[in-house]
Amino acid sequence: MAEEILLADDFVRQLMSVGEVDILVGIPSFNNAATIGRTVLAVEQSFQQGFARQRVALVNADGGSEDGTREVVMSTRADKSSTVGGRGLTSLRTEQRVVTQYGNEPSAGLALRTILAAADLLRAKACAVISPATSNLTTAWITNLLEPIYRDNFDFVAPLYNRHKYDGLLARNLLYPMSRSVFGHGIRELHPSELGFSGRLASHCLGQNVWHQEDIQDAPEIWMALTAISSDFRCCQAFLGTKERAAAGTGPDIVTAVRQNVGSLFWCLDTQENYWLQRAQPEALRSFGPESDLTCEPMNLNRQRIYELFRSGVQDLGPILQSILAAETMGEIQRVAAQDEEKCRFSGELWARTLFEFAASHRHAVLNRDHMIQALVPLYRGRIYSFLVEHQDSTAKEMEADTENLCVEFEKQRPYLVERWKA
Amino acid sequence: MAADIQPLWYKDAIIYQLHVRTFCDSNNDGIGDFTGLLQKLDYLQELGINTIWLLPFFPSPLRDDGYDIADYTAVHPNYGTLEEFRAFLNAAHDRGIRIVIELVANHTSDQHPWFQEARSSTDNPKRDWYVWSDTDNRYREVRIIFIDTELSNWAWDPVSKSYYWHRFFSHQPDLNWDNPAVFAAMWGVMKFWLDIGVDGFRLDAIPYLIEREGTNGENLPETHAILREIRRLLDKEYPGKMLLAEANQWPADVRAYFGDGDEFHMAFHFPLMPRMFMAVRLEDRKPIIEILEQTPEIPESCQWCIFLRNHDELTLEMVTDIERDYMYDEYAKDKQMRINLGIRRRLAPMMENDRRRIELLTGMLMSMPGTPIIYYGDEIGMGDNVYLGDRNGVRTPMQWNGGWNAGFSGADPERLYSAVISNPVYGYAAINVESQRRTQHSLLAWMKQIIHVRDSTNIFSRGSIEFLRPSNHRVLAYVRCHEDKQVLVVNNLSSTAQAVELDLQSYKGSIPIEMFGGNLFPRIGDASYLLTLAPYQFFWFRLRRI
Repeated sequence: MAEEILLADDFVRQLMSVGEVDILVGIPSFNNAATIGRTVLAVEQSFQQGFARQRVALVNADGGSEDGTREVVMSTRADKSSTVGGRGLTSLRTEQRVVTQYGNEPSAGLALRTILAAADLLRAKACAVISPATSNLTTAWITNLLEPIYRDNFDFVAPLYNRHKYDGLLARNLLYPMSRSVFGHGIRELHPSELGFSGRLASHCLGQNVWHQEDIQDAPEIWMALTAISSDFRCCQAFLGTKERAAAGTGPDIVTAVRQNVGSLFWCLDTQENYWLQRAQPEALRSFGPESDLTCEPMNLNRQRIYELFRSGVQDLGPILQSILAAETMGEIQRVAAQDEEKCRFSGELWARTLFEFAASHRHAVLNRDHMIQALVPLYRGRIYSFLVEHQDSTAKEMEADTENLCVEFEKQRPYLVERWKA
Repeated sequence: MAADIQPLWYKDAIIYQLHVRTFCDSNNDGIGDFTGLLQKLDYLQELGINTIWLLPFFPSPLRDDGYDIADYTAVHPNYGTLEEFRAFLNAAHDRGIRIVIELVANHTSDQHPWFQEARSSTDNPKRDWYVWSDTDNRYREVRIIFIDTELSNWAWDPVSKSYYWHRFFSHQPDLNWDNPAVFAAMWGVMKFWLDIGVDGFRLDAIPYLIEREGTNGENLPETHAILREIRRLLDKEYPGKMLLAEANQWPADVRAYFGDGDEFHMAFHFPLMPRMFMAVRLEDRKPIIEILEQTPEIPESCQWCIFLRNHDELTLEMVTDIERDYMYDEYAKDKQMRINLGIRRRLAPMMENDRRRIELLTGMLMSMPGTPIIYYGDEIGMGDNVYLGDRNGVRTPMQWNGGWNAGFSGADPERLYSAVISNPVYGYAAINVESQRRTQHSLLAWMKQIIHVRDSTNIFSRGSIEFLRPSNHRVLAYVRCHEDKQVLVVNNLSSTAQAVELDLQSYKGSIPIEMFGGNLFPRIGDASYLLTLAPYQFFWFRLRRI
């Protein structure tokens, strides 16, 4: 069977002209004309400041924007009056900028794959993916992602951010503790919008026969991170800065977010079981830069709504949940759901057990897998409700301590996961 | 040659730069001389150059390799006599070779009689021929040029108990060009040599003639006024003679030295030179295109002088800090190779003796806009000795053969003004004129060929330049045009083979004819013109419509 052609001819032609590079930064985009110019300038400034001598390239993988995003990428230019001595002298090397449209609709998986293909063909040593929508992106973000790879030979760099204590709840309560306990390395941001990786890892990932899997299309970064861990690539984390809060109404809804992230996570558990079932002791990941912090300014959240959706979800999906969960776990969840708002608490122990039972059931496909993951949503709401109540007055330090306790609980119950997995 | 006045001869010149001391010693005293140089004129004629630029040969204490002049109108006895110079000059003219000499106008040696008189007392008539001060606080905004050796632009004179101004070494006091007597004296010097028959002057250190409080002492309007007057007198009394400016400045600042065609005929394009080296190392055309795009138009009668190396350090004054650091790290890792703000190495060692890169850089030198200068010895790939002091490592004896003292001198080796390069790679046994003359495909043979090809057309010397911008940044491509003729030049700056697609729509229908072999290439059509180039390869194509 003929090998599938992924890259457009024009894209290949552009890559030919670029030639081998040391650094490649990819920007996946879809209708980001309003913000991508700023991103492009930040990237090129980071090249000039941090990698003035290296061969660098910026690759925009666009999903069919209709607002002129690609044109903005090509036309954005730094103000020459700010150049050296005002003499219009900029970087040592030609600024390489490549733009391609990978499809007619956006796909995170296809965008990442396009960037990985560019990195592979250009034999890039260090690469980063940057979101076109981060308005507070600085050159330091990009440099901090690339330097551990280029200078210290790491293969995967996950970001660390300063966040509001109520941001990143899916990461804090699910992705982080679960991936840490299962895979043995704690990546705080498993589904980031910025990440770094080596050319070696790019080539490895590109060569895996996974790119048609629906499970990773929406959150390929999760798969990439866990593949890096399970394939013994050197991983680390690097502090970037403050993660902006998404504006209300933007970003995926909770159902979509759980489906995308948990679907990808569970698929990784399934396909990489050879690694995590046998893995040795957990290892801490090296971190670069200052420790991330939480901000605690007051925020209005509709806790009551979350509580009600939890209760109704447990009730409405009872039969489905019973086929996924152990009887004892189900019983305990029902008892929690029956409590009134003040007393309702979804403990870390229960949450870990719930997730592990879901993971094992997903593995054994007791139900349609997508339906199964959707069934997790109300339970996740329950966990979040409980989290919000417990931490309404918590300091950043207290929240971090609680997160660590949650991870310890997950790790304690790991043998339970293994037992159910193998059953 | 005096009767054969071609006003714009310097535009078509191919200049060979040498110091008489380095070239050939005829009397076996260990120092090259004019009689020896005369003996080598056939070699230079055979090489194909048509102009020689001589470094200073005047009486001097030689503390700055002759740029510290003690007598402007004589020949240092080390190099011969005035009569021997005349004989050399006439012999050069007989071979169609013009002679350009130095005029070090900014300063003299402190041993020059003018300075000896000036310092003798504050009442001496020549006191004001130099710039004096009771304190060293004046002109504080002026930079120090020889940063490795000088701490100040003022030096204390214990004889006259005051400070004198010097932009270079402290033993080189600056002349006071605000004094009309200085102007008259220097014009007298010029007339002296012009009457003998020299064809032009390279004016050394020209931006620094005048200083004014509150300025950086460079490129001042008064300096230009002096230069215009010199030019006026030259054109009036000695038509057809040439003035070449040494002004190590950004192109926009050098532009002023051309005036409206009423100052210098030529000026060095200093900022281009390091960028050529940078481009080859980076494998990226950007540094070259960037600086040439900033280079202003100059009057039709004027010309840039371009070069790869010369007797000084490869100057890194007119580059950014990032570029300077890059050049140091790539070309002068050993700090012994660095001096002032530059690199004291020759072309071949900087190219790691890679013949392909030497040819590529020479090809660019010969094909870019400007009059090219070949530094003596680079035509055979001579090496350097960075362990000699100052910039003497690039001023070693010419290597003529593998025999005694490289054929430079019959003296005992200890007597030579400088040791001959003798390491296994660049030593005279390996690199010399005789062996390369006998080798059909030597660098010397190739240099003769490229000079011949360049000289076969005036497109390179007179033509405009249009840069093509293929998407492959490792290829530097441009079209030179003059009247109705065009030459397409394509340079692969990379160490790996490259493919390049050129947009030659403007030349559709033309047939590219490769200029070294004369072979036809496919006619230019509608589609992009595809070329493939080996590592560091370049092409020159004459575009013919036929």
